[in-house]
Amino acid sequence: MTLEVLLVEDSPGDVRLTREAFRDAKTNINLHVATDGVAAMAFLRHEGDHSQAPRPDFILLDLNLPKMDGREVLAHIKEDDDLKTIPTIILTTSEAEVDILKSYQLQANCYINKPVQLEAFEAIVKSVNYFWATTAKLPPRANGG
Amino acid sequence: MIRFLTKRTVQFAFGAAIAILLIVAGFAYRSIVISGENGRWVQHTHEVLENLQDMQFALETVSSSIRGYVLTGEETYLDPYRAARVSLEQHTAAVGELTSDNPAQRENMLALERLAAGRMGRADEIIDLRRNQGPSAASEALRVGPGLRVGVEYRAVIGRMQDEERRLLALRLADAQRSTSQIKITLILGTFVGLLITVAAGLSVQRDNSRRETAEGALQESERKYRMLVDGVKDYAILMLGPQGEIRSWNPGAERMTGCTWEEVAGQNFSRFFSADDVNLGRPGEILRKTAESGQYEEQGMRVRKDGTRYQIRTTFTASRDPAGNLRGFSVISRDLTENKESETKYRGLLEAAPDAMVVVNQGGEIVLLNVQAEKQFGYRRDELLGQKVTNIIPIGFAERLIADDLRSTEDASAQQIGTGIELIAERKDGSEFPIEIMLSPLQSPEGTLVTAAIRDISVRKAAETHLSQMEGRYRGLLEAAPDAMVVVNQGGEIVLLNVQAEKQFGYRRDELLGQKVTNIIPIGFAERLIADDLRSTEDASAQQIGTGIELIAERKDGSEFPIEIMLSPLQSPEGTLVTAAIRDISVRKAAAVVLLQKVDELNRSNEELGQFAYIASHDLQEPLRMVASYTQLLSRRYKGKLDADADEFIAFAVDGASRMQRLIQDLLAYSRVGTKGRELLETSSEDALQQALTNLRGAIEESSAVVTHDPLPPVMADDMQLTQLFQNLVGNAIKYQKSGVPRVHISAARNGGKQWDFAVKDNGLGIDPQYFERIFGMFQRLHKRDEFAGTGIGLAICKKIVERHGGHIWVESKQGQGSTFRFALAGSQAKS
Repeated sequence: MTLEVLLVEDSPGDVRLTREAFRDAKTNINLHVATDGVAAMAFLRHEGDHSQAPRPDFILLDLNLPKMDGREVLAHIKEDDDLKTIPTIILTTSEAEVDILKSYQLQANCYINKPVQLEAFEAIVKSVNYFWATTAKLPPRANGG
Repeated sequence: MIRFLTKRTVQFAFGAAIAILLIVAGFAYRSIVISGENGRWVQHTHEVLENLQDMQFALETVSSSIRGYVLTGEETYLDPYRAARVSLEQHTAAVGELTSDNPAQRENMLALERLAAGRMGRADEIIDLRRNQGPSAASEALRVGPGLRVGVEYRAVIGRMQDEERRLLALRLADAQRSTSQIKITLILGTFVGLLITVAAGLSVQRDNSRRETAEGALQESERKYRMLVDGVKDYAILMLGPQGEIRSWNPGAERMTGCTWEEVAGQNFSRFFSADDVNLGRPGEILRKTAESGQYEEQGMRVRKDGTRYQIRTTFTASRDPAGNLRGFSVISRDLTENKESETKYRGLLEAAPDAMVVVNQGGEIVLLNVQAEKQFGYRRDELLGQKVTNIIPIGFAERLIADDLRSTEDASAQQIGTGIELIAERKDGSEFPIEIMLSPLQSPEGTLVTAAIRDISVRKAAETHLSQMEGRYRGLLEAAPDAMVVVNQGGEIVLLNVQAEKQFGYRRDELLGQKVTNIIPIGFAERLIADDLRSTEDASAQQIGTGIELIAERKDGSEFPIEIMLSPLQSPEGTLVTAAIRDISVRKAAAVVLLQKVDELNRSNEELGQFAYIASHDLQEPLRMVASYTQLLSRRYKGKLDADADEFIAFAVDGASRMQRLIQDLLAYSRVGTKGRELLETSSEDALQQALTNLRGAIEESSAVVTHDPLPPVMADDMQLTQLFQNLVGNAIKYQKSGVPRVHISAARNGGKQWDFAVKDNGLGIDPQYFERIFGMFQRLHKRDEFAGTGIGLAICKKIVERHGGHIWVESKQGQGSTFRFALAGSQAKS
C-alpha cells in the first residue's frame, strides 16, 4: 500500500535530497511537498488548489519556514480534531533544546535532527520509512481522500 | 411724667406749692379775721341790744320808782330812781358809742335821748311836786302827765333800734358766711393743689433720691471691686499719696515689695522708700513736682526695702485733681523689675543652652549667676560659686577689667566679640589651671550694671599651638613634605596639627581647623575609629598601611564632598596618644576604577556578542555547506567511474573540502558553545563523564584497539556535558596521535594540596616538543600535516576553554617520542572531598 506523506520544507535542495533518499530507500511512499506553513495548512484542509489533496498518513515538518513557521503549523494541526491524529514528525537542523521541548509540548510525534552527512541523512530517511511506514500502526484513513 | 421732672422743675414745683400754701394761709388768716369781725359784730349787736333793753328797763324803773314815791312819799323809793337814772345814762352813752357809725341808729339814739331827757325832767318835776305839794298834786301830775306816751315811744324807738341791729347782724352774718365758704373752697382747692404739687415734687425728689442711692451703691460696689483689684495685684505696688506725698493707702503688692506693713507706713511720706542719696538729691519731691506739672510721670529707679536691700522698680505717678483743678494727691503704680521670674526662666534657658561657660558678675566682682558649663569647666557646684569672688576662678585680669569697663561706654563693651576676646588663665576647684578666652558684655539689671562673661576653654587650641611650636622644628618639614594631607588628631577627635596639603585639600586655613572637631572635615568613620583604636594595640594600628587604608568621604569648607583613603597611625606625645591621619584624595582613582569597570563591562558584552556571532555564523554556515557536501557526495556516489578520471578527482576534492569544512564548523560551534551554551557547574561524577566520553569514542577505540584505563575518579564541580567533551577530546587525541602499536591511555586524578583535583590523561603516543606546549592550546594550531593526522586544530582550544570556564587550568607534560600527559585542575566537590 502506498503511503501518502506531506513534506513541509522550503529548501528545494532538502526537498530533492529527501525525495532522493526515499527513492534510494525504495520505499512505497507518495511524497507531497508544501514549501511554507500556509501552503501546508491549505493542503491539509483541501483549500484552493489542494481540493483534491489526499489526507497524508504522516507529516514531515521543518521548523523554520516562511510565512507560517513549523511551530505554528504544528499547533494548528494538533488543535484540529480532524488533523491531530496524523503523526507529525519534526525534521529540522535545529538542535536547540527549547525547540525540542516546545515541539513535544505542541504534541509533535517525533523530533529528528537533519544530520549534516549525506549518509546519515539517508539513514534517517530509511529509519523514518522503516518505523512509520512499516513498524508503526497508523490511524485509519477515516476521511482519507 | 414724674420721671421727666428736672431738678429745675422740681424747684419750681416746690416754689409753686409754697406760693399756693401762702395764699391758702392768707385766705385762712382772712377767714379768721372775718370770723373775728363777725364775732365782734355779734357781740356788738348783743351789747347794743342789751344796752337798749337795760335802757328800757332803767326808764321803766324810773317810772315805777316815781310812782312808788308818789304814792308813799317815802324817800327809799327814790333810790332805784336815782340808780336807774345813772344806769340809763351809762347805757345810753354805751349804745351811743356802739352805734355811732350808723346814722340811722344815731338818729334813733337822739330820739331816745330826747325822750329820756323829757322823762327825767318830768320825773324831777313830779318829785318836787310830791315833796312840795303832796301826794295829790303829784298824783295828778302823774295822771295828766305825758309819762305813759313817752314810755310807749321810748319802747318803740328801742324796738326799732333792736330791729335795725338784728337786721345789720343778719346782713353781716350772711356776708361772713359767703366769704367763709369762699375761703373754704379756696382753702380746700389750694391745699389740694399744693399737696398735689408737693406730692409730685416729693415723688420726684424721692425718685431722685433713690437714684442717688443706687448710684451711691454702685459707687461703693465699684470701689469695693477696685479695692479688691488693687489688693489682688501682687506684682504691682499701688499707692495713693496725698499732695505732699504722704501715704494714704496701698495694696498688698506694695507691702510685699517694700517689706513694710501698712501700720508702719500709713501717713508717712513716700520718700521713706528712697535711698538716702535720692532723698538728699530731693528726688521724691522732684518726682511729685514733675507729676503735678505734667499730670503723669514715669520713673525707673532704685528703692530700698525695710531690710535695707535695694530693688529696681518702674513706677508711674499720676496726679489726681478735684473738679476745681486742685491737687488732691497722686496715684503710684510700681513694678518690681527684679522679680521678672518668667523672663528669668527664659534667660536661664538661654544661659544654659550656651555652649560656653557663662558667668554673670556684679560690680563687686561677685558671681551672681552661672550655667552648667561653668560648673563643669571649673569643677565647682553652682552653690559653691554663687556669691563668690570671680577671682576664685579667674584670678587675674577679670576683676580688674570690671573696673576698667566702667570707664568704657556700653557700646564699646558690646562690640567686644568672643573672637576678639581676652585670653586669661582660669583655675579649677582642684587648683589646676587652664587657658580661657573670655568675652565680656554689660548687662543692665536692678542691681546695677552686671557683666556677663562667656568663657571658652581654649586649652585644646592652646595645646595645639604649644604642640605646634614644639613640633615645629622636628616634624614640620616632614609633615609638609608628605604628598598626602596629614592631620594629627587627639583622642577627643580635635585636630591639633595639619600640613599645607590638608589646608589645600579641605579648603580651610590652618587656624580654621586647629582645635576643631575632625568630624567637620571627615563627618563619618574617622572619629568613631579613634574610639575603636583605643581598643586596638599600638602595633595593630601601626600595621595599618596607606595601601590598606580605609575609604571614607571627606567634606571641604565649601560643603563639597570627595572620596578619601585614610591611613591612621598612633603618635605618642606628651598630651597622650595622638593619631596621625594620612589622607589621600582618591577621587581620580575612584573615577578611574569606575571607568575601568565600565570598560570591563563593555569588553564582556563585546566578547559575548562575538561568541554569539561565532555561534550563529557557524550554525548558519552549516546549512549551505550541508547542501554542498550532500550533493557532492551524491554526485560522487552516483557518477563515480561514469565520467573521466579528472572528474572523479575533482569531485573527490570537493567532497573532501566540504567534509573538512563541516568538521571545522562543527568544531567552531563546539568551541563557541563552551562560552555561550555552558550550563551551571554542579557536583558531577568525573567518572561518569569519562564513561560517556569513552562511549562516544567507542568507534575510534575499537578501530585502533586502544586500551583505555583509569583510576577511580572524584566528583567535581562541573558542567557534565563539557566535562565529557573534555575527556573525549583528550582521550581522542591520545588515541589519534600514535605511531603504531596499541595506544594506551590512562586517566587518573590526585589532590593537588588544596581543594582542587589534578586530572591526568597519559598516553604512550608521539609526544610533543616542549616548544609547542603553549601553542597547541591555541585556535587552529596543528603540529602535523593534514595527510598525517586529520584535524581542525580546535580540539585542545576547546579543552582549554572548558577548563578555564571551570576555574582551572590545563597544561601538558611530554617528551617527544615518550608520550604525553595532559593535566588539568578542577575544583573538587564541596560536599565530599
